[in-house]
Amino acid sequence: MLLQQLVNGLSLGAVYAVFAIGFTLVFGVMNVLNLSQGAVFMWGAYVGLEVVRKLALPLPLAILAAAGAAGLLGVLSEVLVFRPLQRRGAHRWMGMVGSLALARILIGLAQEIFGTQVVRYPDNALAGAAVELFGARLQLLQIVAIGAALAMVIALAALLRFTNLGRAIRTVAFSETVARLVGVPVDRVRLATFFVSGALAGGAGVLWSLLFQSVSPFMGDGILLKGLTVLILGGLGNVLGALVGGLLLGLVEVASVVAVGSGYRDAVGFGLVLLILLTRPTGLFATRETKRA
Amino acid sequence: MIDFFHAYHNVIDLCLLNSVLAFGCFLLLGVNLFSLATGGLMAVGAYLSIWLTMQQGWSFAPALAAAVAAASLAAFGLGSLVLRLRGDYFTMATLAFTEVIRIIALNWDSATGGALGVFGIPKLTETWQLVLLLALVIYLVWAVRRSAIGERMRAVAADELAVSTAGHDVARFKLALFTASGAIAGLGGGLAAHLNMFVAPGDFGFLRSVDTVIAPVLGGAWNIAGPVIGATILTVLPEALRFSAQMREILIGVAMLGAVLFLPAGLVSLPTVWRRRVAS
Repeated sequence: MLLQQLVNGLSLGAVYAVFAIGFTLVFGVMNVLNLSQGAVFMWGAYVGLEVVRKLALPLPLAILAAAGAAGLLGVLSEVLVFRPLQRRGAHRWMGMVGSLALARILIGLAQEIFGTQVVRYPDNALAGAAVELFGARLQLLQIVAIGAALAMVIALAALLRFTNLGRAIRTVAFSETVARLVGVPVDRVRLATFFVSGALAGGAGVLWSLLFQSVSPFMGDGILLKGLTVLILGGLGNVLGALVGGLLLGLVEVASVVAVGSGYRDAVGFGLVLLILLTRPTGLFATRETKRA
Repeated sequence: MIDFFHAYHNVIDLCLLNSVLAFGCFLLLGVNLFSLATGGLMAVGAYLSIWLTMQQGWSFAPALAAAVAAASLAAFGLGSLVLRLRGDYFTMATLAFTEVIRIIALNWDSATGGALGVFGIPKLTETWQLVLLLALVIYLVWAVRRSAIGERMRAVAADELAVSTAGHDVARFKLALFTASGAIAGLGGGLAAHLNMFVAPGDFGFLRSVDTVIAPVLGGAWNIAGPVIGATILTVLPEALRFSAQMREILIGVAMLGAVLFLPAGLVSLPTVWRRRVAS
Protein backbone atom coordinates (compact mmCIF):
# COMPACT_ATOMS: atom_id res chain seq x y z
CA MET A 1 0.00 0.00 0.00
CA LEU A 2 2.76 2.39 1.00
CA LEU A 3 4.80 1.35 -2.04
CA GLN A 4 1.75 1.89 -4.21
CA GLN A 5 1.28 5.45 -2.95
CA LEU A 6 5.00 6.09 -3.26
CA VAL A 7 4.91 5.16 -6.95
CA ASN A 8 1.72 7.19 -7.47
CA GLY A 9 3.38 10.21 -5.92
CA LEU A 10 6.67 9.78 -7.74
CA SER A 11 5.06 9.34 -11.17
CA LEU A 12 2.94 12.43 -10.63
CA GLY A 13 5.93 14.32 -9.28
CA ALA A 14 8.15 13.20 -12.16
CA VAL A 15 5.80 14.84 -14.66
CA TYR A 16 5.68 18.02 -12.55
CA ALA A 17 9.47 17.98 -12.39
CA VAL A 18 10.00 17.64 -16.15
CA PHE A 19 7.58 20.47 -16.81
CA ALA A 20 9.03 22.70 -14.11
CA ILE A 21 12.64 22.11 -15.14
CA GLY A 22 11.91 23.61 -18.57
CA PHE A 23 10.15 26.46 -16.86
CA THR A 24 12.96 27.14 -14.41
CA LEU A 25 15.66 26.82 -17.08
CA VAL A 26 14.26 29.76 -19.02
CA PHE A 27 13.84 31.70 -15.81
CA GLY A 28 17.37 30.98 -14.67
CA VAL A 29 18.97 31.80 -18.01
CA MET A 30 16.92 34.77 -19.11
CA ASN A 31 15.14 35.91 -15.98
CA VAL A 32 11.75 35.77 -17.70
CA LEU A 33 8.61 33.99 -16.58
CA ASN A 34 7.20 32.28 -19.69
CA LEU A 35 3.51 31.84 -18.94
CA SER A 36 2.79 30.19 -22.31
CA GLN A 37 4.54 27.05 -21.05
CA GLY A 38 1.21 25.47 -20.08
CA ALA A 39 -0.14 25.89 -23.61
CA VAL A 40 3.07 24.41 -25.02
CA PHE A 41 2.59 21.40 -22.71
CA MET A 42 -0.95 20.97 -24.10
CA TRP A 43 0.27 21.16 -27.69
CA GLY A 44 2.89 18.52 -26.93
CA ALA A 45 0.13 16.22 -25.73
CA TYR A 46 -1.90 16.75 -28.93
CA VAL A 47 1.07 16.29 -31.25
CA GLY A 48 1.94 13.04 -29.46
CA LEU A 49 -1.66 11.92 -29.79
CA GLU A 50 -1.82 12.68 -33.51
CA VAL A 51 1.43 10.84 -34.11
CA VAL A 52 0.18 7.75 -32.27
CA ARG A 53 -3.24 7.86 -33.93
CA LYS A 54 -2.56 8.87 -37.50
CA LEU A 55 0.94 7.53 -38.03
CA ALA A 56 0.69 4.62 -35.58
CA LEU A 57 4.24 5.25 -34.39
CA PRO A 58 5.41 3.70 -31.11
CA LEU A 59 5.31 5.73 -27.92
CA PRO A 60 8.99 6.70 -27.61
CA LEU A 61 8.85 8.20 -31.11
CA ALA A 62 5.62 10.00 -30.22
CA ILE A 63 7.35 11.57 -27.21
CA LEU A 64 10.24 12.65 -29.41
CA ALA A 65 7.88 14.18 -31.99
CA ALA A 66 5.91 15.95 -29.29
CA ALA A 67 9.08 17.28 -27.69
CA GLY A 68 10.34 18.53 -31.05
CA ALA A 69 7.11 20.30 -31.95
CA ALA A 70 6.77 21.79 -28.47
CA GLY A 71 10.40 22.90 -28.63
CA LEU A 72 9.60 24.84 -31.79
CA LEU A 73 6.70 26.49 -29.99
CA GLY A 74 9.13 27.46 -27.23
CA VAL A 75 11.34 29.05 -29.89
CA LEU A 76 8.28 30.86 -31.20
CA SER A 77 7.68 32.46 -27.80
CA GLU A 78 11.24 33.80 -27.80
CA VAL A 79 11.10 35.13 -31.36
CA LEU A 80 7.58 36.53 -31.12
CA VAL A 81 7.42 37.81 -27.54
CA PHE A 82 10.56 37.89 -25.45
CA ARG A 83 13.21 38.95 -27.95
CA PRO A 84 11.42 42.05 -29.28
CA LEU A 85 10.50 43.08 -25.75
CA GLN A 86 14.04 42.59 -24.48
CA ARG A 87 15.45 44.59 -27.42
CA ARG A 88 13.27 47.48 -26.39
CA GLY A 89 14.09 47.13 -22.71
CA ALA A 90 10.39 46.70 -21.89
CA HIS A 91 9.24 46.16 -18.33
CA ARG A 92 9.18 42.50 -17.28
CA TRP A 93 5.40 42.63 -16.81
CA MET A 94 5.15 43.05 -20.55
CA GLY A 95 6.85 39.69 -21.02
CA MET A 96 4.36 38.01 -18.69
CA VAL A 97 1.39 39.65 -20.40
CA GLY A 98 2.80 38.87 -23.85
CA SER A 99 3.37 35.23 -23.00
CA LEU A 100 -0.17 34.99 -21.58
CA ALA A 101 -1.45 36.42 -24.86
CA LEU A 102 0.53 33.80 -26.76
CA ALA A 103 -0.97 31.13 -24.50
CA ARG A 104 -4.48 32.36 -25.39
CA ILE A 105 -3.66 32.15 -29.09
CA LEU A 106 -2.27 28.62 -28.75
CA ILE A 107 -5.27 27.47 -26.71
CA GLY A 108 -7.68 29.05 -29.22
CA LEU A 109 -5.90 27.36 -32.11
CA ALA A 110 -6.06 24.00 -30.34
CA GLN A 111 -9.81 24.43 -29.81
CA GLU A 112 -10.20 25.32 -33.47
CA ILE A 113 -8.17 22.36 -34.74
CA PHE A 114 -8.81 19.58 -32.21
CA GLY A 115 -12.19 20.59 -30.76
CA THR A 116 -13.00 21.12 -27.10
CA GLN A 117 -13.85 17.49 -26.28
CA VAL A 118 -11.63 15.63 -23.85
CA VAL A 119 -9.92 12.83 -25.77
CA ARG A 120 -7.52 10.06 -24.79
CA TYR A 121 -4.62 8.11 -26.16
CA PRO A 122 -5.60 4.80 -27.76
CA ASP A 123 -5.22 1.80 -25.50
CA ASN A 124 -1.97 -0.02 -25.86
CA ALA A 125 -0.18 -2.85 -24.15
CA LEU A 126 1.60 -0.49 -21.80
CA ALA A 127 -1.54 1.13 -20.44
CA GLY A 128 -3.02 -2.11 -19.09
CA ALA A 129 0.14 -3.80 -17.90
CA ALA A 130 1.02 -3.99 -14.25
CA VAL A 131 3.73 -5.54 -12.18
CA GLU A 132 3.43 -7.19 -8.79
CA LEU A 133 6.00 -5.97 -6.30
CA PHE A 134 5.93 -6.71 -2.58
CA GLY A 135 2.20 -7.32 -2.81
CA ALA A 136 1.43 -4.04 -4.55
CA ARG A 137 0.07 -3.84 -8.10
CA LEU A 138 2.01 -1.13 -9.83
CA GLN A 139 1.05 0.13 -13.25
CA LEU A 140 3.91 -0.39 -15.66
CA LEU A 141 3.03 2.96 -17.19
CA GLN A 142 3.80 4.79 -13.97
CA ILE A 143 7.21 3.20 -13.77
CA VAL A 144 7.87 4.03 -17.42
CA ALA A 145 6.84 7.63 -16.76
CA ILE A 146 9.24 7.88 -13.84
CA GLY A 147 11.98 6.34 -15.99
CA ALA A 148 11.30 8.63 -18.93
CA ALA A 149 11.27 11.68 -16.67
CA LEU A 150 14.59 10.65 -15.12
CA ALA A 151 16.05 10.08 -18.60
CA MET A 152 15.02 13.59 -19.69
CA VAL A 153 16.50 15.14 -16.57
CA ILE A 154 19.78 13.23 -16.92
CA ALA A 155 20.00 14.21 -20.60
CA LEU A 156 19.49 17.85 -19.64
CA ALA A 157 22.06 17.68 -16.86
CA ALA A 158 24.58 16.15 -19.28
CA LEU A 159 23.78 18.80 -21.88
CA LEU A 160 24.35 21.59 -19.37
CA ARG A 161 27.53 20.11 -17.94
CA PHE A 162 29.40 18.51 -20.81
CA THR A 163 28.51 20.21 -24.09
CA ASN A 164 29.57 23.53 -25.55
CA LEU A 165 25.94 24.55 -25.71
CA GLY A 166 25.57 23.74 -22.02
CA ARG A 167 28.61 25.83 -21.14
CA ALA A 168 27.24 28.67 -23.26
CA ILE A 169 23.86 28.43 -21.53
CA ARG A 170 25.50 28.58 -18.13
CA THR A 171 27.55 31.59 -19.18
CA VAL A 172 24.46 33.44 -20.38
CA ALA A 173 22.72 32.52 -17.13
CA PHE A 174 25.62 34.01 -15.20
CA SER A 175 25.51 37.25 -17.17
CA GLU A 176 24.47 38.13 -20.70
CA THR A 177 26.98 40.95 -20.81
CA VAL A 178 29.86 38.70 -19.85
CA ALA A 179 28.67 36.10 -22.36
CA ARG A 180 28.72 38.66 -25.16
CA LEU A 181 32.20 39.83 -24.12
CA VAL A 182 33.65 36.33 -24.31
CA GLY A 183 32.05 35.74 -27.71
CA VAL A 184 29.11 33.49 -26.81
CA PRO A 185 26.40 33.81 -29.51
CA VAL A 186 23.81 34.94 -26.99
CA ASP A 187 20.86 35.07 -29.38
CA ARG A 188 21.36 31.48 -30.50
CA VAL A 189 21.84 30.32 -26.93
CA ARG A 190 18.55 31.93 -25.97
CA LEU A 191 16.80 30.17 -28.85
CA ALA A 192 18.32 26.85 -27.83
CA THR A 193 17.26 27.37 -24.22
CA PHE A 194 13.69 28.09 -25.27
CA PHE A 195 13.76 25.00 -27.50
CA VAL A 196 14.93 22.76 -24.65
CA SER A 197 12.39 24.32 -22.30
CA GLY A 198 9.52 23.79 -24.75
CA ALA A 199 10.68 20.27 -25.54
CA LEU A 200 10.60 19.33 -21.85
CA ALA A 201 7.09 20.77 -21.58
CA GLY A 202 5.99 18.75 -24.63
CA GLY A 203 7.50 15.54 -23.24
CA ALA A 204 5.74 16.18 -19.95
CA GLY A 205 2.50 16.69 -21.91
CA VAL A 206 2.65 13.20 -23.40
CA LEU A 207 3.57 11.57 -20.09
CA TRP A 208 0.71 13.39 -18.34
CA SER A 209 -1.83 12.39 -20.98
CA LEU A 210 -0.79 8.77 -20.71
CA LEU A 211 -0.99 8.74 -16.92
CA PHE A 212 -4.35 10.51 -16.69
CA GLN A 213 -5.89 9.39 -19.98
CA SER A 214 -7.15 12.78 -20.93
CA VAL A 215 -6.14 15.45 -23.42
CA SER A 216 -7.98 18.76 -23.75
CA PRO A 217 -7.18 22.31 -24.88
CA PHE A 218 -7.42 23.48 -21.27
CA MET A 219 -5.07 20.96 -19.68
CA GLY A 220 -2.25 23.53 -19.57
CA ASP A 221 -3.78 25.80 -16.92
CA GLY A 222 -3.51 23.29 -14.11
CA ILE A 223 0.06 22.29 -14.86
CA LEU A 224 1.08 25.94 -15.19
CA LEU A 225 0.02 26.50 -11.60
CA LYS A 226 1.85 23.33 -10.52
CA GLY A 227 4.92 24.51 -12.41
CA LEU A 228 4.85 27.84 -10.59
CA THR A 229 4.51 25.98 -7.29
CA VAL A 230 7.53 23.81 -8.05
CA LEU A 231 9.43 26.87 -9.22
CA ILE A 232 9.03 28.39 -5.76
CA LEU A 233 9.63 25.14 -3.90
CA GLY A 234 12.88 24.64 -5.77
CA GLY A 235 13.97 28.27 -5.87
CA LEU A 236 13.48 30.31 -9.03
CA GLY A 237 15.97 29.34 -11.71
CA ASN A 238 17.35 26.28 -9.94
CA VAL A 239 17.22 23.14 -12.14
CA LEU A 240 18.12 20.65 -9.44
CA GLY A 241 15.70 22.40 -7.10
CA ALA A 242 12.93 21.97 -9.67
CA LEU A 243 13.61 18.23 -9.85
CA VAL A 244 13.47 17.81 -6.08
CA GLY A 245 10.57 20.26 -5.79
CA GLY A 246 8.54 18.42 -8.44
CA LEU A 247 8.99 15.02 -6.83
CA LEU A 248 8.25 16.52 -3.41
CA LEU A 249 5.03 18.13 -4.65
CA GLY A 250 3.86 14.86 -6.20
CA LEU A 251 4.53 12.95 -3.00
CA VAL A 252 2.89 15.58 -0.80
CA GLU A 253 -0.21 15.68 -2.99
CA VAL A 254 -0.65 11.93 -2.94
CA ALA A 255 -0.07 11.86 0.81
CA SER A 256 -2.66 14.62 1.29
CA VAL A 257 -5.25 12.66 -0.69
CA VAL A 258 -4.69 9.71 1.63
CA ALA A 259 -4.79 11.92 4.71
CA VAL A 260 -7.58 14.43 4.09
CA GLY A 261 -9.30 13.40 0.84
CA SER A 262 -8.97 14.71 -2.69
CA GLY A 263 -10.81 18.03 -2.22
CA TYR A 264 -7.84 19.92 -0.87
CA ARG A 265 -5.17 18.23 -3.00
CA ASP A 266 -4.52 21.32 -5.08
CA ALA A 267 -4.44 23.60 -2.04
CA VAL A 268 -1.70 21.60 -0.34
CA GLY A 269 0.95 22.68 -2.81
CA PHE A 270 0.05 26.35 -2.53
CA GLY A 271 -0.17 26.12 1.24
CA LEU A 272 3.31 24.63 1.17
CA VAL A 273 4.48 27.49 -1.05
CA LEU A 274 3.14 30.10 1.35
CA LEU A 275 4.70 28.29 4.28
CA ILE A 276 8.09 27.98 2.61
CA LEU A 277 8.15 31.58 1.41
CA LEU A 278 7.39 32.78 4.90
CA THR A 279 10.24 30.83 6.43
CA ARG A 280 12.69 31.00 3.52
CA PRO A 281 11.90 34.05 1.39
CA THR A 282 13.88 32.81 -1.63
CA GLY A 283 12.60 29.26 -1.86
CA LEU A 284 13.67 25.96 -0.44
CA PHE A 285 17.06 25.73 -2.10
CA ALA A 286 19.88 28.02 -3.17
CA THR A 287 18.79 31.42 -4.40
CA ARG A 288 19.03 32.69 -7.94
CA GLU A 289 21.69 35.14 -6.86
CA THR A 290 24.00 32.46 -5.58
CA LYS A 291 23.32 29.76 -8.14
CA ARG A 292 21.49 29.78 -11.42
CA ALA A 293 20.83 26.98 -13.96
CA MET B 1 -28.40 56.89 -26.39
CA ILE B 2 -31.08 55.36 -24.19
CA ASP B 3 -31.51 52.49 -26.64
CA PHE B 4 -27.77 51.94 -26.70
CA PHE B 5 -27.72 51.79 -22.91
CA HIS B 6 -30.59 49.31 -22.79
CA ALA B 7 -29.03 47.07 -25.39
CA TYR B 8 -25.61 47.00 -23.78
CA HIS B 9 -26.16 47.79 -20.11
CA ASN B 10 -24.74 44.43 -19.04
CA VAL B 11 -21.48 45.13 -20.81
CA ILE B 12 -21.42 48.71 -19.53
CA ASP B 13 -21.90 47.50 -15.94
CA LEU B 14 -19.06 45.04 -16.35
CA CYS B 15 -16.77 47.69 -17.85
CA LEU B 16 -17.43 49.96 -14.86
CA LEU B 17 -16.90 47.17 -12.34
CA ASN B 18 -13.72 45.90 -13.98
CA SER B 19 -12.38 49.46 -14.15
CA VAL B 20 -12.90 49.86 -10.40
CA LEU B 21 -11.10 46.57 -9.78
CA ALA B 22 -8.25 47.50 -12.10
CA PHE B 23 -7.48 50.53 -9.93
CA GLY B 24 -6.63 48.20 -7.05
CA CYS B 25 -3.82 46.71 -9.13
CA PHE B 26 -2.92 50.11 -10.58
CA LEU B 27 -2.07 51.39 -7.09
CA LEU B 28 0.27 48.47 -6.53
CA LEU B 29 1.89 48.60 -9.98
CA GLY B 30 2.77 52.18 -9.07
CA VAL B 31 5.23 50.81 -6.51
CA ASN B 32 6.36 47.88 -8.65
CA LEU B 33 4.15 45.25 -7.04
CA PHE B 34 2.62 42.78 -9.53
CA SER B 35 -0.08 41.21 -7.37
CA LEU B 36 -2.25 38.21 -8.22
CA ALA B 37 -4.18 38.38 -4.94
CA THR B 38 -7.20 40.15 -6.45
CA GLY B 39 -9.19 36.97 -7.13
CA GLY B 40 -8.80 35.72 -3.57
CA LEU B 41 -9.62 39.09 -2.00
CA MET B 42 -12.65 39.47 -4.27
CA ALA B 43 -13.85 36.06 -3.15
CA VAL B 44 -13.62 37.11 0.51
CA GLY B 45 -15.76 40.19 -0.23
CA ALA B 46 -18.20 38.40 -2.50
CA TYR B 47 -18.98 35.42 -0.24
CA LEU B 48 -19.25 37.56 2.88
CA SER B 49 -21.66 40.03 1.28
CA ILE B 50 -23.77 37.21 -0.19
CA TRP B 51 -23.99 35.54 3.19
CA LEU B 52 -24.93 38.76 4.93
CA THR B 53 -27.64 39.74 2.44
CA MET B 54 -29.07 36.28 1.83
CA GLN B 55 -28.74 34.57 5.21
CA GLN B 56 -28.62 37.42 7.70
CA GLY B 57 -31.06 39.79 6.03
CA TRP B 58 -28.63 42.72 5.95
CA SER B 59 -29.25 45.47 3.45
CA PHE B 60 -26.76 46.10 0.68
CA ALA B 61 -24.74 49.05 2.00
CA PRO B 62 -23.70 47.54 5.35
CA ALA B 63 -23.05 44.20 3.66
CA LEU B 64 -20.72 45.91 1.19
CA ALA B 65 -19.04 47.78 4.03
CA ALA B 66 -18.45 44.46 5.79
CA ALA B 67 -17.05 43.00 2.55
CA VAL B 68 -14.64 45.91 2.26
CA ALA B 69 -13.59 45.55 5.89
CA ALA B 70 -13.05 41.79 5.62
CA ALA B 71 -11.05 42.02 2.40
CA SER B 72 -8.95 44.88 3.79
CA LEU B 73 -8.23 42.80 6.86
CA ALA B 74 -7.31 39.79 4.71
CA ALA B 75 -5.04 42.01 2.58
CA PHE B 76 -3.45 43.44 5.71
CA GLY B 77 -2.73 39.94 7.03
CA LEU B 78 -1.47 38.63 3.71
CA GLY B 79 0.52 41.78 3.06
CA SER B 80 2.32 41.69 6.40
CA LEU B 81 3.45 38.17 5.51
CA VAL B 82 4.33 38.39 1.82
CA LEU B 83 5.38 42.00 1.18
CA ARG B 84 8.94 41.29 2.26
CA LEU B 85 9.26 38.89 -0.67
CA ARG B 86 10.92 40.38 -3.70
CA GLY B 87 9.77 40.55 -7.31
CA ASP B 88 8.43 37.33 -8.72
CA TYR B 89 8.39 35.63 -5.32
CA PHE B 90 5.83 38.20 -4.20
CA THR B 91 3.73 37.57 -7.32
CA MET B 92 3.83 33.82 -6.75
CA ALA B 93 2.90 34.13 -3.08
CA THR B 94 -0.14 36.25 -3.95
CA LEU B 95 -1.10 33.67 -6.57
CA ALA B 96 -0.81 30.95 -3.93
CA PHE B 97 -3.16 32.94 -1.69
CA THR B 98 -5.75 33.27 -4.46
CA GLU B 99 -5.64 29.58 -5.27
CA VAL B 100 -5.91 28.54 -1.61
CA ILE B 101 -8.98 30.76 -1.21
CA ARG B 102 -10.50 29.35 -4.42
CA ILE B 103 -10.00 25.79 -3.26
CA ILE B 104 -11.45 26.55 0.16
CA ALA B 105 -14.49 28.04 -1.63
CA LEU B 106 -14.68 24.89 -3.74
CA ASN B 107 -14.77 22.63 -0.69
CA TRP B 108 -16.71 24.64 1.88
CA ASP B 109 -20.09 23.60 0.46
CA SER B 110 -22.27 24.89 3.28
CA ALA B 111 -21.06 28.48 2.87
CA THR B 112 -20.21 28.69 -0.81
CA GLY B 113 -22.34 26.07 -2.54
CA GLY B 114 -19.15 24.25 -3.56
CA ALA B 115 -18.41 23.82 -7.24
CA LEU B 116 -22.05 24.51 -8.18
CA GLY B 117 -21.87 27.99 -6.73
CA VAL B 118 -24.56 30.23 -5.24
CA PHE B 119 -27.69 30.91 -7.31
CA GLY B 120 -30.44 33.49 -6.93
CA ILE B 121 -28.36 36.25 -5.39
CA PRO B 122 -30.54 39.38 -5.25
CA LYS B 123 -29.53 41.91 -7.90
CA LEU B 124 -28.67 44.96 -5.85
CA THR B 125 -25.85 46.50 -7.84
CA GLU B 126 -27.11 49.37 -9.98
CA THR B 127 -25.35 51.15 -12.81
CA TRP B 128 -25.46 54.52 -11.07
CA GLN B 129 -23.71 53.04 -8.04
CA LEU B 130 -20.93 51.73 -10.25
CA VAL B 131 -20.57 55.08 -12.02
CA LEU B 132 -20.41 56.87 -8.71
CA LEU B 133 -17.90 54.44 -7.25
CA LEU B 134 -15.67 54.56 -10.29
CA ALA B 135 -15.73 58.36 -10.15
CA LEU B 136 -14.89 58.22 -6.45
CA VAL B 137 -12.04 55.75 -6.96
CA ILE B 138 -10.61 57.80 -9.84
CA TYR B 139 -10.81 60.95 -7.76
CA LEU B 140 -9.14 59.27 -4.75
CA VAL B 141 -6.34 57.77 -6.83
CA TRP B 142 -5.84 61.09 -8.59
CA ALA B 143 -5.71 62.98 -5.29
CA VAL B 144 -3.33 60.43 -3.78
CA ARG B 145 -0.99 60.63 -6.76
CA ARG B 146 -0.84 64.42 -6.47
CA SER B 147 -0.20 64.34 -2.74
CA ALA B 148 2.91 63.57 -0.72
CA ILE B 149 1.88 59.91 -0.79
CA GLY B 150 2.07 59.96 -4.59
CA GLU B 151 5.51 61.47 -4.44
CA ARG B 152 6.57 58.74 -2.02
CA MET B 153 5.11 56.12 -4.38
CA ARG B 154 7.18 57.40 -7.31
CA ALA B 155 10.26 57.47 -5.11
CA VAL B 156 9.70 53.88 -3.96
CA ALA B 157 9.16 52.77 -7.55
CA ALA B 158 12.35 54.48 -8.69
CA ASP B 159 14.65 53.38 -5.88
CA GLU B 160 13.24 51.56 -2.90
CA LEU B 161 16.57 51.21 -1.15
CA ALA B 162 17.26 54.95 -1.29
CA VAL B 163 13.86 55.74 0.22
CA SER B 164 14.35 53.35 3.11
CA THR B 165 17.92 54.56 3.64
CA ALA B 166 16.50 58.05 3.92
CA GLY B 167 14.66 56.82 7.01
CA HIS B 168 11.21 56.17 5.58
CA ASP B 169 9.36 53.00 6.52
CA VAL B 170 8.84 51.52 3.05
CA ALA B 171 7.39 48.29 4.44
CA ARG B 172 4.58 50.06 6.25
CA PHE B 173 3.92 52.26 3.27
CA LYS B 174 3.56 49.26 0.97
CA LEU B 175 1.34 47.51 3.49
CA ALA B 176 -0.99 50.52 3.54
CA LEU B 177 -1.22 50.46 -0.26
CA PHE B 178 -1.79 46.70 -0.30
CA THR B 179 -4.58 47.08 2.27
CA ALA B 180 -6.17 49.82 0.16
CA SER B 181 -6.05 47.59 -2.90
CA GLY B 182 -7.65 44.86 -0.78
CA ALA B 183 -10.49 47.23 0.07
CA ILE B 184 -11.09 47.85 -3.63
CA ALA B 185 -11.02 44.13 -4.39
CA GLY B 186 -13.46 43.37 -1.57
CA LEU B 187 -15.80 46.10 -2.77
CA GLY B 188 -15.53 44.76 -6.32
CA GLY B 189 -16.25 41.23 -5.13
CA GLY B 190 -19.44 42.28 -3.32
CA LEU B 191 -20.60 44.35 -6.28
CA ALA B 192 -19.81 41.57 -8.74
CA ALA B 193 -21.80 39.00 -6.76
CA HIS B 194 -24.88 41.24 -6.60
CA LEU B 195 -24.51 42.19 -10.24
CA ASN B 196 -24.21 38.72 -11.79
CA MET B 197 -26.68 37.09 -9.35
CA PHE B 198 -24.49 33.99 -9.42
CA VAL B 199 -21.01 33.18 -8.15
CA ALA B 200 -18.85 30.07 -8.33
CA PRO B 201 -15.29 29.51 -7.10
CA GLY B 202 -14.03 29.60 -10.69
CA ASP B 203 -14.95 33.29 -10.89
CA PHE B 204 -12.20 34.13 -8.42
CA GLY B 205 -9.18 32.16 -9.53
CA PHE B 206 -5.91 32.71 -11.34
CA LEU B 207 -7.60 34.02 -14.50
CA ARG B 208 -9.61 36.64 -12.66
CA SER B 209 -6.46 37.90 -10.95
CA VAL B 210 -4.56 37.91 -14.22
CA ASP B 211 -7.27 39.78 -16.13
CA THR B 212 -7.46 42.40 -13.40
CA VAL B 213 -3.74 43.08 -13.34
CA ILE B 214 -3.44 42.96 -17.13
CA ALA B 215 -6.01 45.75 -17.52
CA PRO B 216 -3.78 48.59 -16.24
CA VAL B 217 -0.67 47.10 -17.87
CA LEU B 218 -2.46 46.98 -21.21
CA GLY B 219 -4.15 50.34 -20.82
CA GLY B 220 -1.16 52.11 -19.35
CA ALA B 221 0.32 51.39 -15.94
CA TRP B 222 1.54 54.95 -15.41
CA ASN B 223 -1.47 56.87 -16.65
CA ILE B 224 -4.64 57.29 -14.62
CA ALA B 225 -6.79 56.59 -17.69
CA GLY B 226 -4.92 53.30 -18.21
CA PRO B 227 -7.00 51.05 -15.93
CA VAL B 228 -10.30 52.27 -17.41
CA ILE B 229 -9.13 51.87 -21.02
CA GLY B 230 -7.55 48.48 -20.38
CA ALA B 231 -10.52 47.12 -18.42
CA THR B 232 -12.97 48.39 -21.03
CA ILE B 233 -11.07 46.81 -23.93
CA LEU B 234 -10.68 43.52 -22.05
CA THR B 235 -14.43 43.49 -21.28
CA VAL B 236 -15.76 44.64 -24.65
CA LEU B 237 -13.45 42.58 -26.86
CA PRO B 238 -14.77 39.15 -25.75
CA GLU B 239 -18.36 40.40 -26.11
CA ALA B 240 -17.73 41.85 -29.54
CA LEU B 241 -16.14 38.60 -30.68
CA ARG B 242 -18.93 36.45 -29.29
CA PHE B 243 -19.89 35.37 -32.84
CA SER B 244 -17.08 32.84 -32.77
CA ALA B 245 -16.13 31.03 -29.59
CA GLN B 246 -12.83 29.72 -30.89
CA MET B 247 -11.73 32.67 -32.98
CA ARG B 248 -12.46 34.78 -29.93
CA GLU B 249 -9.58 33.40 -27.88
CA ILE B 250 -7.22 33.73 -30.83
CA LEU B 251 -8.22 37.29 -31.66
CA ILE B 252 -8.06 38.46 -28.03
CA GLY B 253 -4.60 36.93 -27.82
CA VAL B 254 -3.49 38.62 -31.03
CA ALA B 255 -4.87 41.97 -29.86
CA MET B 256 -3.15 41.64 -26.47
CA LEU B 257 0.13 40.61 -28.05
CA GLY B 258 -0.06 43.47 -30.54
CA ALA B 259 -0.62 45.97 -27.74
CA VAL B 260 2.30 44.61 -25.72
CA LEU B 261 4.65 44.61 -28.71
CA PHE B 262 3.77 47.91 -30.30
CA LEU B 263 2.50 50.04 -27.41
CA PRO B 264 4.98 49.49 -24.56
CA ALA B 265 3.46 52.36 -22.54
CA GLY B 266 -0.03 50.89 -22.93
CA LEU B 267 -3.01 51.80 -25.06
CA VAL B 268 -3.06 55.37 -23.70
CA SER B 269 0.04 56.02 -25.79
CA LEU B 270 -1.79 55.11 -29.00
CA PRO B 271 -2.53 58.73 -30.05
CA THR B 272 1.09 59.77 -29.47
CA VAL B 273 2.47 56.80 -31.37
CA TRP B 274 -0.03 57.41 -34.17
CA ARG B 275 0.86 61.10 -34.47
CA ARG B 276 4.56 60.32 -34.57
CA ARG B 277 3.96 57.75 -37.29
CA VAL B 278 1.95 60.22 -39.37
CA ALA B 279 4.55 62.94 -38.86
CA SER B 280 7.50 60.86 -40.01
